[in-house]
Amino acid sequence: MNDYTISVNDNKYNFKILTQNIIELNGTNFDVELSQLSQYSYLLKVDNRVYQITSNKNSSDNYSFTIAGYSYNVTVRTNLEEKANEYLKNKAKESGSEIIKSPMPGLIVKILKKIGESVQMGEPILLLEAMKMENEIRSSVSGIVKSIMTKKNNSVEKGESLIEIG
Amino acid sequence: MIKKILIANRGEIAVRIVKACNEMEITSVAIYSDADKYSLHVRVADEAYHIGNSAASESYLDGDKIIELAKNISADAIHPGYGFLSENSNFIKKCEIAGIVFIGPSSKSVKMMGDKTSARKLMNQNNVPIVPGSTEGIKSYEGAKKIALEIGLPVMLKAAAGGGGKGMRKIDKIEDLKQAIDSTKNEAKKAFGNDAVYIEKFIENPKHIEVQILADKHGNFLHLFERDCSIQRRHQKVVEEAPAFTLTPELRTKVTFAAINAAKTCNYFNAGTIEFLFDQKDNFYFLEMNTRLQVEHPITELITGIDLVKEQIKIAQGDKLTIKQEDIKIMGHAIECRIYAEDVDANFAPSTGKILHHRLPSGPGIRVDRGIDIHSDVSIYYDPMLSKVIAFGKDRQEAIARMIRALGEYQIVGVTTNIHSFQWILNNQFFLNGNFDINFLDKNFIKLLPGKWKIELDDKYENIAVILAALLKNKDSKTIPFKRECKPENQWGKSSYE
Repeated sequence: MNDYTISVNDNKYNFKILTQNIIELNGTNFDVELSQLSQYSYLLKVDNRVYQITSNKNSSDNYSFTIAGYSYNVTVRTNLEEKANEYLKNKAKESGSEIIKSPMPGLIVKILKKIGESVQMGEPILLLEAMKMENEIRSSVSGIVKSIMTKKNNSVEKGESLIEIG
Repeated sequence: MIKKILIANRGEIAVRIVKACNEMEITSVAIYSDADKYSLHVRVADEAYHIGNSAASESYLDGDKIIELAKNISADAIHPGYGFLSENSNFIKKCEIAGIVFIGPSSKSVKMMGDKTSARKLMNQNNVPIVPGSTEGIKSYEGAKKIALEIGLPVMLKAAAGGGGKGMRKIDKIEDLKQAIDSTKNEAKKAFGNDAVYIEKFIENPKHIEVQILADKHGNFLHLFERDCSIQRRHQKVVEEAPAFTLTPELRTKVTFAAINAAKTCNYFNAGTIEFLFDQKDNFYFLEMNTRLQVEHPITELITGIDLVKEQIKIAQGDKLTIKQEDIKIMGHAIECRIYAEDVDANFAPSTGKILHHRLPSGPGIRVDRGIDIHSDVSIYYDPMLSKVIAFGKDRQEAIARMIRALGEYQIVGVTTNIHSFQWILNNQFFLNGNFDINFLDKNFIKLLPGKWKIELDDKYENIAVILAALLKNKDSKTIPFKRECKPENQWGKSSYE
């Protein structure tokens, strides 16, 4: 249970907790000590250096950190969860459908695609106005527009489903 | 003497103006919309008044309401900051009629500079170099074609009432001209209510260099040297520095002279900025005049030691400038990074939320002008700029080193910011050796999205992030959920209803 798989910036790491203060990261051992300063701030001592890190938990397995001006989005799973996740991902690939969600709250200015139209990965699919600026929402996959879950002039919340592409 | 100033703005610039008021023992008045109830400018001002709904048109842009409030609370002056009403000559006129001091130029000067064609004509008449092209709106396609062929393609079509990068179109082929005139006119009509469009030569890969000026109501003019604002993304400035270190002393003399000349042509008073484009052969051309305080004014304050906001207030109340041109020296180098609430890797999508954690950088040569603090909200209604980190050093190298150090100290939780991406800019060879122009980011950075720009950085902390993530996950898994035992005395809600 103390073995984890961690993904950050397209890199994967294997992590083992050996004792309370010793961990193994990709085969190398480190002395570590963690203290919490507030809900969003930690001190982490790794060997002889102390880091003050900000942390925001996005979900049970995803965190955003900033360390000395560098930001990281880190996904951490137990090895078991990682296997389950990969299984689900492969299954989703077979059914081949992805829902594009709104990355921010805003107003739908224009929907650029119709049901049945083909979409390339990275292609703009709709325009969303937020903070007085028009933002292009791009498709994260290639495929055919299966359904459109919003309309022009709708205001949407962050994470709201917009378009299904399959 | 001005005793009470209503600040018709929000965010970092409103906070900046409050600080000047404090130092001059002037009562500062903040106004705020629904969305800004918890904003920093409301917390720091001497007085704060709710002005309307969150939409800017119903709050910070409602000039009549603002003037009415100023009268009711006996404010004798209004400081407009930048954006919103700052360059609205109708609003300034209304202040003049109401007998409220507008901390800025006269409505006349603003009007003269607001129309780009009349400003170009004025500059041309007074020997300030302008980008070759027309000084009047396009009247016929034939006339436009003649000018385009005369100055040579590519050319730009620009809205006379435009500015800040809006209402512009580049023409590469003469066949496209007719269609482009129609659509630019259309756009200009929609965006600015004025369909006048003019034509000018397209300058290839220019630098954006601007000169800060100060002028009083007694005809005294000063320049405070220049700023290089070439590091932009889609016409939005991201990094600015002063002075422009690639400029020779001869060019500096020439361009500052031209700037003062430009200000004189419109009988300017207060603080203003004249923007120039520098082509690759060091020719420079008047671009536009910003008749207000600029976002990037702190870098000029740091290299000259002059407090621009205080000077603005003194000029507005009729004081004579006491500074002499020969006493203004460049004392070092300053650089500013604009911190935006945006997700760089999601195509710069604005990020909204509540500020949950905020730690400011400090130490030698560091200044932060900010509009946020703990528990303030970043909403969808306004510009996503959170703050500006400004670094000063004895030379450019020291200023950059201090900036890199300060950005490492700066911590914000609650919204996604662009802080990390400055590491790419500030360590880039082209940036460091001055070999950049206004297309630098659009050409070199945008192609590295999403995420690839991080690979070019020497990443020192990925291991640390990995360790923290695993330790936090491990801690969570050990937290045993609280269970309430099912005993008769433990009835749900018993204690609170007894």
